[in-house]
Parts: sequence; C-alpha cells; structure tokens
Amino acid sequence: MTDTAIRLLLEFDDKVRRDHEQPPAFLHRRDRKYALDCQQRDMTPSPGHWLAHLERLSGQGGESVADAALGTWRRIMTGFILAGCALGVLTMLGLLFYEGGQRINVTVILAFVFLQCLLAGFTTLQAFAGWQPWRPLLTRFADQKSPAALGKLQPQLMARAAHIGGLAFGTCGLLTLLVMVVVQDLAFGWSTTLNTDSHRFLGLVQTIAAPWQWLWPGAVPDASLVETTRFFRAQTGNLTLNPARLGDWWPFVAMVWTFYVLLPRLVLAVIANGHLQLKARRLLNRHPGLTALQYRMETPALETGNAHNDAQHQPDTSTNSQLKPLPESDTVICWAGAGEPELPDALNGPDTLVLRAGGRASLQDDTLTLEKAANHLAHITRPAVIVVTRSWEPPTGELQDFLQHARELWPPTSHVAVVPLTTSGQEEPPTHQVQQWLRFTERLGTDFACVSLPPLFPQNPYRQGEL
Amino acid sequence: MDNAPVFAVVGHPNKGKSSVVATLSQNDAIAIALEPGTTRQRQAYPLTVDGRTLYTLVDTPGFQRPRRVLEWLDAHSVSASDRAETVAAFVTQHRDDPRFTDECELLAPLVEGAGIIYVVDGSVPYSAEHEAEMTILRWTGRPSLALINSIGPDDYSTAWQAALGQFFQVIRKFDAVRAHFEQHLSLLRAFGQLEPAWESPLDQATGFLADQRRQRKTQAARLIAKALEDIMSYQEKRTLTTNQATETNERALADTLRRSWYQHQRRREQTLRVSVEHLYQHKRIQRQEAELEWHSDHDLFSEDSRRVWAVSRRYLATAGFGAGAVGGAGIDALTFGSSLGTGALVGGILGAAGSYFYGDRLALPALKIGALQDGLKTATFGPVQDSQFGYVVLGRAVDHWWHISHRNHAGRDQLDLAPADSHWLENLDRKSRQDIQRVFNRCRKRRTPDDRQRVVFAAAIEQAMTVYDDWRLNRT
Repeated sequence: MTDTAIRLLLEFDDKVRRDHEQPPAFLHRRDRKYALDCQQRDMTPSPGHWLAHLERLSGQGGESVADAALGTWRRIMTGFILAGCALGVLTMLGLLFYEGGQRINVTVILAFVFLQCLLAGFTTLQAFAGWQPWRPLLTRFADQKSPAALGKLQPQLMARAAHIGGLAFGTCGLLTLLVMVVVQDLAFGWSTTLNTDSHRFLGLVQTIAAPWQWLWPGAVPDASLVETTRFFRAQTGNLTLNPARLGDWWPFVAMVWTFYVLLPRLVLAVIANGHLQLKARRLLNRHPGLTALQYRMETPALETGNAHNDAQHQPDTSTNSQLKPLPESDTVICWAGAGEPELPDALNGPDTLVLRAGGRASLQDDTLTLEKAANHLAHITRPAVIVVTRSWEPPTGELQDFLQHARELWPPTSHVAVVPLTTSGQEEPPTHQVQQWLRFTERLGTDFACVSLPPLFPQNPYRQGEL
Repeated sequence: MDNAPVFAVVGHPNKGKSSVVATLSQNDAIAIALEPGTTRQRQAYPLTVDGRTLYTLVDTPGFQRPRRVLEWLDAHSVSASDRAETVAAFVTQHRDDPRFTDECELLAPLVEGAGIIYVVDGSVPYSAEHEAEMTILRWTGRPSLALINSIGPDDYSTAWQAALGQFFQVIRKFDAVRAHFEQHLSLLRAFGQLEPAWESPLDQATGFLADQRRQRKTQAARLIAKALEDIMSYQEKRTLTTNQATETNERALADTLRRSWYQHQRRREQTLRVSVEHLYQHKRIQRQEAELEWHSDHDLFSEDSRRVWAVSRRYLATAGFGAGAVGGAGIDALTFGSSLGTGALVGGILGAAGSYFYGDRLALPALKIGALQDGLKTATFGPVQDSQFGYVVLGRAVDHWWHISHRNHAGRDQLDLAPADSHWLENLDRKSRQDIQRVFNRCRKRRTPDDRQRVVFAAAIEQAMTVYDDWRLNRT
C-alpha cells in the first residue's frame, strides 16, 4: 500500500511553504529555467519531477516532512492493527464462549456480523463526508502539528487505518474460530424470542449464504439442520438430537465471518486507500502552489536590467569653498552663450571688455579670446576677470581647459571669478546650481578661480520714492 | 538573439540620462544626482527574456570636451564617407587619455553599433553649445533618437525640438520621472523604429513588459488578499496561570493585548508594503504614511475619519446588504425555498441595517478570558469583529499599490501616501463587494477561507484596484 501521492503532496506542500521566504524573482527564474530544461529534453514537467530536480540539486538532507507526517499515521495504523488482532481474538472467544449448558447462538453471531457491516459502512461514509468526530483525540495525542495539507486527508487516512484494523480484527477472529473448531467441540444452535418458525430462519440463513452457495455448498445450512438445532433456554435437553449435528454450523459461521466481516473490510480498505490517493492527487492538482508553479514555468522570466546597483556610489556633494565677493573687473568673458542676449547692467559698464568663448565658438576663437584678455590684463595691477556661465549648465572639461590655458597666458597675479547667471540674469541662482560651480573651482585646486554671485539688480530709487 | 539592439543613452552631463535608463530598466539602484559626472563609466542594462537579450540600454557619462573631439575628427577626416571610421579611430587613440575618458566611454558603444538616444533637458533653454556633441553623434552614422526629458518645471521643449530636428531622425518628449507606463512602451517602440531589424525585438520586449505589468497587478492583488486575511483573522493570545489570572487587572491585560495586537497588524501591513514594492522592483523607497491606528480610543471609524480612507457608511451598508443577503439565501436553501426568497430579503435588510447603524463606531475586538484548562487560562484579543477595519486596510493597500505601480524608477522623492478623499470603493461592482465581505466574515469567525474563496477574493481585490485606477485617472 504505497503512499506515493500523499508523499508527493506533502513534499510539494512543504517545498511551497519554504519557498515563501524566497524572493519571487528568484523563484520565477529557477522554475522557468527548469521548464526550459524540460522543454529541451522533450519532457513534460510534473510536480514529482520538479521536486526530484530540486532535491538532486540540494542533496538529501535528513528526514523528509512526508516521512515524519506519515510516520505518525503509520503508528496510528499499527495501533489499529494490534488492537484489531487482540479484539478479534477476544471477540471470537466471547462469541464462541460455551460453558456446556447452552449452545452458541448463531443468531447472536449474525447480529454481531451485521453490526460489523454497519460500522464498516459508517467508517466509509465518514471518510467520504469528511467527518472527523475523533479529531480532538488526534489533536491531543499527535506528536507534532501535522502539515496543513495532511489535515485535509485525515478523514481518509483515519478510514484506511480503521478498515485495516477491521481487517486484522476479522482475520484474527476467523483464525480463532478455526482454532476453536479444531480444539473444541462447538455446539451451535439458533434461538430467538420472536415467534418465528424454522422455515423463515432457514430462508434468512440461505439468503445470507447465497454468495458462497456455489463455492462451498456444505457451508449452507439445510432445513434439517435449522430445524433440529433450534433451542430454547428454558428447554432442559433434546435427547433425540445427534450432538454431532450441533457442530455442523461452523462452516456457515466461518463463511459468514469471511464474507460479511473480512471481505467488506478488505474491499473498503482498498477503496479507502484509493480514495485517499485520489484525494491527495486532487489536492495536489488544486494546490495554490501548483498554480503558481505552473505560472512561473509558463511565463518567460523577464529581467529588465535591474541587477546593477551603484546607488551607494553617489558623488561627493560636500563643498568646502565659499562664495567670494565679486571682484572689481572690467573684463567679462561670456562662456558658452551665457549673458545672451545681454549681460546684466551691473556687469556691463561702458568700459567693460566683453569677450565670448565656449559653446558655439571654436577652440581657435577661445584662444583669441584668451590672448585679447591677456593683452588687456597686462596693463592692470590687480587683474581680475569675470567669467559668466549659465548656472543650470554643468561645468565641463572644456571650461576647465579654458581656465587652465588662461592661467598659463595671463599675468601671474590675475584671478578669475566664475559668475553663474540664471536665465533672466536678474536673480540669484538656486543653491544646488551654485554648489556645482563651487565644487568645480575647488576641483581646479588653485586660488586662481573662485565663484561669485552676480550683483542683484539694483532697486529703482525713484520707484522707492513713489512708495 | 546575438544581434540584439543596443541603445547608448548619451548627452550633455546632468541631463537625466541615468534617469531615463533607470525608468526604462526599472532599476531604482542607479545613482542619480543633480551633480555632473555622477556616471563615470558606461554601464549596460540588458532586457532579457529567459536569458535571451532583446535589447540593451547603455548609460554613459556626458560629453566633457566635445569641441576638442570635433576638432580632432575634422582634422583626421577627408570626406563624409570616413566619418564613422574617424570616430572609431578617435576612441582607439584616446582610450587611455584621461581628458577623453568620458567621450571614449560614450562613443565606444556607438562605434560597436549601438543606436543613439540623445537626452536633453527640456526645462532649460536650448544652448548652441550642444551642437558640437550633436555633430559628433551625427558623424557616427548610427540611427538616432532625441529625447527631451524635463528635469525642472519650465518648458523650452519647442525650441529644443526645432534645434534637434536638424540632427536627429526622431524626437520624443519623455519625462523620466513622471511618464506613464504606456509612454515607456511607446518610447521603446520608437527605439524599434530606428532600424528595421530592431522592430521585432522591441515589439517583443514591449509585449513582455505589458504582460509583466498585468501579471504584477494580479500578484499584488494576491499579496493584498493574503495580508487582509491575516490581519482580519489575527488573534493576540496570552496564557496565564491561575495566579496571574487573579492578580492581573482585566483592563490592564486588555490594554497590553490591544497594544501587541496593533503592533502585529502594523508589522503585517508594513510587510505587505515591502512585498508590493519589491514586486514592482522598488527596493529603495522611503515612505511616509499615517500608521494604522485608532486616532483616539474608539473613534477612528467615525464617519469623518473613515471618509479619509475612502469607506463611506453608504458603502458599508450596501456591502452589508450583499453579505446579509447571502446569509439569508442560506435560510431559503434550508427551508427548500418554502420561505419563498424572504430569507434573502430579510438577511439583506438586517445586514444593511447592521452596517448602517453599527457603522458609526468600530466594534473593538474584545478581550476574552477562556476557561481554566490544565491550570492555565488563555486570554485572547481579536480578531477584529468589524469589517470596516478590513476596508480601511484595503483602502490603504490599494492606494499604496497605485502609487507604487505608477512610480518610475527614476523617482527618488519620498513616497507620501496621503489619504484618499473620495468614496472610490462605491464604484466597485456588487459581486466583488460581496466576495470581499464574505471573506471578511469568515476571517472574523476565524474560519479559514478555502482555496476557491481565496481565488475569488483576490479577483475582487484586483477589481477594486482597477476601480481605484479608473477613479485616479478620472480625477487627475
């Protein structure tokens, strides 16, 4: 009696539970890769094969969850078998108890067999309906918390254990009967309080014996046996009866036991096992983890290029340099179109030399600008040059080259004030834009260049007077 | 696909190249800063499907000395036909020259056959100084597309469009931080239009991306459904010895359990937030959100405070009607229909009335102290008996999902989850409301929903997400 389907369900359920901790992207990649491998090998992926594949990669490690969970049920089943054996022997001994005065009543045996049929039927019904009246007991005595998936199989597991226990009961009962037949002379008879005649009882027993009539005719009681073996407890004795006739009931009793206790339990145990495997397969097929697995196997693993992580490599935006006051200067160089269409008035005096460089100008134009500025600065004692830039544009290597070249060409005492201008040129640029220029001059590593803010547009004194 | 197209994202420094790449590659771990030179080396971001690359985006540093490069190219080129080779020669010759590191990094992929995605900032005025770099790019002879990204609030895109039109085959506007997903796909399709051989892989890629987005929504709905189930059925337990039970003040015990209960619920909600963010590949979000808490002892769910979480009394009444009607239909079934359907009607009215009159106040989960068993008593707090709590958690979760699913990976701002100000859930269809309410009812009774109910519940939540999305769309 293999539990392949249950084992598969439990292993799968456990694997899905453990996968909860894993990032979904990893699971998707892993299972998609497995599905593609299967496709390459012309194999159809299945939960069993998937588990085997993962186990092969991880290696066998300790007792599996299925072994542990099924171990509990194996113990329960062993308990049922042992109890069934003991009860089977005791019950049969009880049924065949004969103290010499009274006969063993076949009617009692038939009633007991009927009860057994009822119990077997009820056990099966319970399994199919999913009732678990014994659940509190199981919860109390189970070693450990069973997996959730196994919980749904408990009615079927219990039914199987009960039927196998019943089978042990029936087998041991039958063996006890046969032993008793050999070692004792059993005196059977039949008796009932009901006012019935032997013909009706004969009809009953012959109906009961119908299944083996063709197999063992001797085990079907005849009219004379029924008629001669009826007894009443108040009756003192029947001297006309041959005592050997009283033992003729045993084949019937043995066959009744076999056909109505043993065989039903055997058939129902097989059905219970089939039902159990079917339910386990159905649970596996409806397992949410299987739907998710199939989804992961069928859906292409899409990587959008988010593996690279350089978030920690942010540029150092700390600035040590400070803004310097705007120097007195009559030389302004407009870098890369800054100051267009016109420079702020505060920078553009009547004698101011305004030059252009960078941007659309060629490198030769830049050199010419530097030379012109150098000539102009040669006659000044404290030469200073204002280089206006567009505050929002980042400082580039070209400006760096330009300033280095200027340092080489211009008088050694000269210095440069980089003045970032906004689009209107009328207001101070935002701090983050000023900061990039401060860091730029800092990177140049000399005092040659510094950053100054543009002079704010002076208030109109007449307008103030109006107010 | 060995010849998968490669697109080099190039441009002036600090114009949002990395932002464009971050958004298109769904990578929020790319360094983005308002600082020129944040990107120092080119970095490839391939989009792969089952390990097969469909296209690659290459983030590059910005031009530092374009006029000097152009001067070199001019000096080494004889005719227009050798320009691409001259660019390649420049890269070969200056690979180790520290002055041209950035230029070599950005030109190398173009020399190797990449398409050009030239990024400019449309929020600042056009500047002629870009012409040198655009000329160099034209020299490479590679298919090109210009992207007008807007970093600031101003708009100079018209001037940029006119200027870029002289240099580039295709010009697109794309706000890397705010562009909708459909615009991402549209941009990628535009990449595919640059060369006939690129159309198919880019179409495939957009198809996969669209599928992925749909699947993510379904997965997010499942995550929310699972969290709601956990939160609505959670019970805080404490085991007490007989002595402890007699010594402990019941009120103090209730307070302790209530605090732990809230703590657990908040933690569970935070786990949900992180799961949804990771699902959408947002791993570095800083979030600001009001905590899941009673504002003052019992009145969080007064009409006013409930409204901010988009759950109205009217909605609850209609949801209650649905759930009540389902219960009532059970009466009809038991009486084999002899109640002539009045069961459903009565159940519906009771459910609705219950939600309406009961809706003013949240029924707090009560403290229960169990009977003595084995010398121990168990004190329990929860599960919450009022489904309004679930709707508040749902409202918050859907709002968070919406923000995450619409957030581009270039976004670095803190995610501020302000409460919704409308009863958007009222637009949810009746069946979905009933499905949600039914699971809430089961959780309240600590009955685990079965797999089928879970599927239906997740579908109803997904529907709620669609409704919220529509509501947001119509609102903005």
